[in-house]
Amino acid sequence: MKISDVIVIGGGLAGLMAAAVAASRKKNVVVLTYGSGSLPLASGAIDFFNADNPEDAVKNLPNHHPYKKIGANVLNTAAKFFIDIAAQANLPYVGRVNAQIPIVTAVGTLKYSALVPESMDASHLAGKKKIFVAGIDGLKDFYPKMLVDNLKKYFPDKEFQTAKIDLHLLGGRDITCMDAAQLLTDNEQILANELKALNAGVDDAIIIPPILGVMGNFSRSVVQTQIRAEIIETTCLPPSPPGIRLQRAFMKYLQSSGVKFFENSKVVRGIVDGKKISGVVVENAVREKIFRAKKIILATGGFYSGGIFMREFDNPKEPIFDLPVFFPEGAENWSNVNLFDDKPQGFSTTGIFTDDNLNPIDADGKILFDNLHVVGANLGSCDKIFERSAGGIAITSAYKAATI
Amino acid sequence: MSDTTKAIFTGDRCLSCTSCMANCPVMAAIKDYRGPKLVGPAHGRMHFSQEDVEESLNYCSNCKSCDRACPSGVAVSTLNMLQRAEYYKNHPHLRHEDMLAHGERMAKLIRKIPFGATFSNIGMGLGKTLGVFSALGLAGERNMPAYASTSFKDKFNRIKQPQSGKKVVMFTGCYINDNEPQVGEAFVKVMNANGYEVLIDTAFNCCGSPLVVTGFLDEAREHADNNVARILYWKSKSIPVVTPCTSCSLMLKEEYHELFGEHEMHEAATNVYDAFEFLEILQERGEFNDNLKPLNQKLLYHVPCHLKSQAIGLPVIEILEEVGGVKVQTADAGCCGISGNYGFRKDKYEISMKIGENLFNRVKQRDFDKVISDCGTCRMQIHHGTDIKPCHPIEILAAAYK
Ligand SMILES: Cc1cc2nc3c(=O)[nH]c(=O)nc-3n(C[C@H](O)[C@H](O)[C@H](O)COP(=O)(O)OP(=O)(O)OC[C@H]3O[C@@H](n4cnc5c(N)ncnc54)[C@H](O)[C@@H]3O)c2cc1C
Ligand code: SF4
Ligand code: SF4
Ligand code: SF4
Repeated sequence: MKISDVIVIGGGLAGLMAAAVAASRKKNVVVLTYGSGSLPLASGAIDFFNADNPEDAVKNLPNHHPYKKIGANVLNTAAKFFIDIAAQANLPYVGRVNAQIPIVTAVGTLKYSALVPESMDASHLAGKKKIFVAGIDGLKDFYPKMLVDNLKKYFPDKEFQTAKIDLHLLGGRDITCMDAAQLLTDNEQILANELKALNAGVDDAIIIPPILGVMGNFSRSVVQTQIRAEIIETTCLPPSPPGIRLQRAFMKYLQSSGVKFFENSKVVRGIVDGKKISGVVVENAVREKIFRAKKIILATGGFYSGGIFMREFDNPKEPIFDLPVFFPEGAENWSNVNLFDDKPQGFSTTGIFTDDNLNPIDADGKILFDNLHVVGANLGSCDKIFERSAGGIAITSAYKAATI
Repeated sequence: MSDTTKAIFTGDRCLSCTSCMANCPVMAAIKDYRGPKLVGPAHGRMHFSQEDVEESLNYCSNCKSCDRACPSGVAVSTLNMLQRAEYYKNHPHLRHEDMLAHGERMAKLIRKIPFGATFSNIGMGLGKTLGVFSALGLAGERNMPAYASTSFKDKFNRIKQPQSGKKVVMFTGCYINDNEPQVGEAFVKVMNANGYEVLIDTAFNCCGSPLVVTGFLDEAREHADNNVARILYWKSKSIPVVTPCTSCSLMLKEEYHELFGEHEMHEAATNVYDAFEFLEILQERGEFNDNLKPLNQKLLYHVPCHLKSQAIGLPVIEILEEVGGVKVQTADAGCCGISGNYGFRKDKYEISMKIGENLFNRVKQRDFDKVISDCGTCRMQIHHGTDIKPCHPIEILAAAYK
């Protein structure tokens, strides 16, 4: 078996980004993943930090915070790389680390993110004359009327109009946004015709669920060029086409740069060679297979994806390398998240601690393996949901780990 | 591995994350299929005990893309197949389903007649023109795979092999045995070059994959029991069973146990290897014969779904790139769409061709010398969709041994 430059364990957002960055630097990369990660469920928007100025806020974080290890200087470079990969697959993103771009959720609230697919950018809503909200016949979980009621709270004096569109897509089942997006791919004209019939003007907007295809911006361009009003997609319940477009954009890049991507490959342990991990072991139905590399990136997704699990209460484990996992002891600490306290607190802060190279460390700060780097949701000591930093930490830690 | 890997126990692990739906090629191709999450784990869990049938289950091709997308180890496709078998407990099989499931039986019957293979190939052509295919529910657009005039097992006895203390038993699979014996010959040549003598066990049946997907589960079980007993016999002699067909290897290694949950099935599975997996293990141990003559070929590799499911990496690339001048590029164009006998059904033909479109377009770029794929039906589908005839990677390797 050949020795690759890099093995990435986990094919979620952090793993895909790490593999892309390493491949862009002409490294020979293998990705091993079990399950397709959280991108198919995610909105596709990337948050860096819930603050007016994330770049500054990040500088003032306590020292144990992952962003401190990653380094504030990486944020912009990583964001730029991310936007570039998406753009190469014809999936335009807008934004930057410090941006606050509104997107409309499926229920009609506004949510602000830093990097947003162009198709979801709702920045211009405030300047629109009239806002149309179009539901699709047979589509589950999208209610134009509820959406309008909620959106009115942000724009009380705007004119709204709801519409129902029949895409003649109904088969034997209710459809999800993913179904509609797949069926509209290469079949966009039905939607374009229906939207034309709304007679929306150049100063108007049409809000629709995220059904504009599954491959980049292609379907959106076909429809938008025929419609004067700006079309804006909302978020939706999973499976989420915008998340899938992003996943496919990365996959396209990985394939074109010769990255070997192995699905269904559960890594069960590492081969330890002193302070190095010289390879990892994948367990299939009947036997084990060893993959070797000079550098290993652990992007297994923390609690939500099995990167960390807890069989016994108070005793979380990292199952592959048995890395120490830090978490607040005692259930009483689990709910009270005092964010800027110097100690990590709260259940969601559970994770692996690292040094500035993202090498895992033990309780005394000693580096455990110097060619193993921990990224994404595996990183401990901050509450990524509360801070709204999950996506930002995933892509920036991945960028750093791949470039060290 | 514990018996909890039996498919029926895995449904409870479903988190309803919908990843499987996002990756199902059939759902992407048509709107009538309700999809793996609803059909397999959810519906299966609720209704296995009742006579309630999810009609759209009929659309599942058992390509296993859903299983690979699932983060929780749910054996979605196998749950679908178990449910399909439930359906057929109370519903008769259609005639074409019976035919497609029993390719092995048909081939044997035909070979009993002198010149049977030749006649039946003519018959296939005639039958097609007269619309018999269509009346039977088979896709009239397709050629049925032509039978080779001599089956591989018959040819095998005439191959002169160097004797060796190191032996493998070859599980030929139906397609190689009846339709592409040259793949079997290439396999023998490669094994011999690596110091192994190849044995054939005529007591093996068809692996049962076509039976499972057409809902003949009881018959598949008989095949499984027979084959597992044979594999265990060879295991007791420390002789591994190796197969160049990826759907066979998946069946023997994984699906028997998932479907029927007997411990011996798993024990037997540990003695089964995919051909290139076996060669890569030899390479790992430094026992692979790399005395190969350069070929200077650019190969486009369609990786079969059923190989991806085995979690063995891509041994074909590791091995073929040992041959001087050979460059292997993966097609990365998803499932070919045929899924065994799925694409042969009249009502599934269009779906199967739609799924395959990406791959056909990739192949038609013709920026390579040959297309390779280790699954027989994948090769058939690529040939049908592009007019370019692929070969098995073992044929390339065989050509590189002097
Ligand atoms: C529903 C949802 C909505 C979201 N919305 C947003 C948003 O609006 N903004 C934002 O910034 N972020 C959002 N995120 C979070 C964002 O997607 C995170 O960055 C992500 O969850 C963390 O990425 P990750 O790559 O670390 O983990 P994951 O995406 O969970 O990937 C981990 C991967 O590792 C695999 N794996 C685990 N163990 C093994 C093993 N032993 N061997 C091999 N593979 C293994 C898993 O199967 C999985 O594929 C959202 C997440 C979800 C789930
Ligand atoms: S086996 Fe294939 S066709 Fe069947 S549900 Fe799974 S992904 Fe879909
Ligand atoms: S991918 Fe697995 S866990 Fe997710 S819905 Fe499908 S079966 Fe359930
Ligand atoms: S025929 Fe080949 S590519 Fe198609 S589903 Fe089967 S294994 Fe996959």
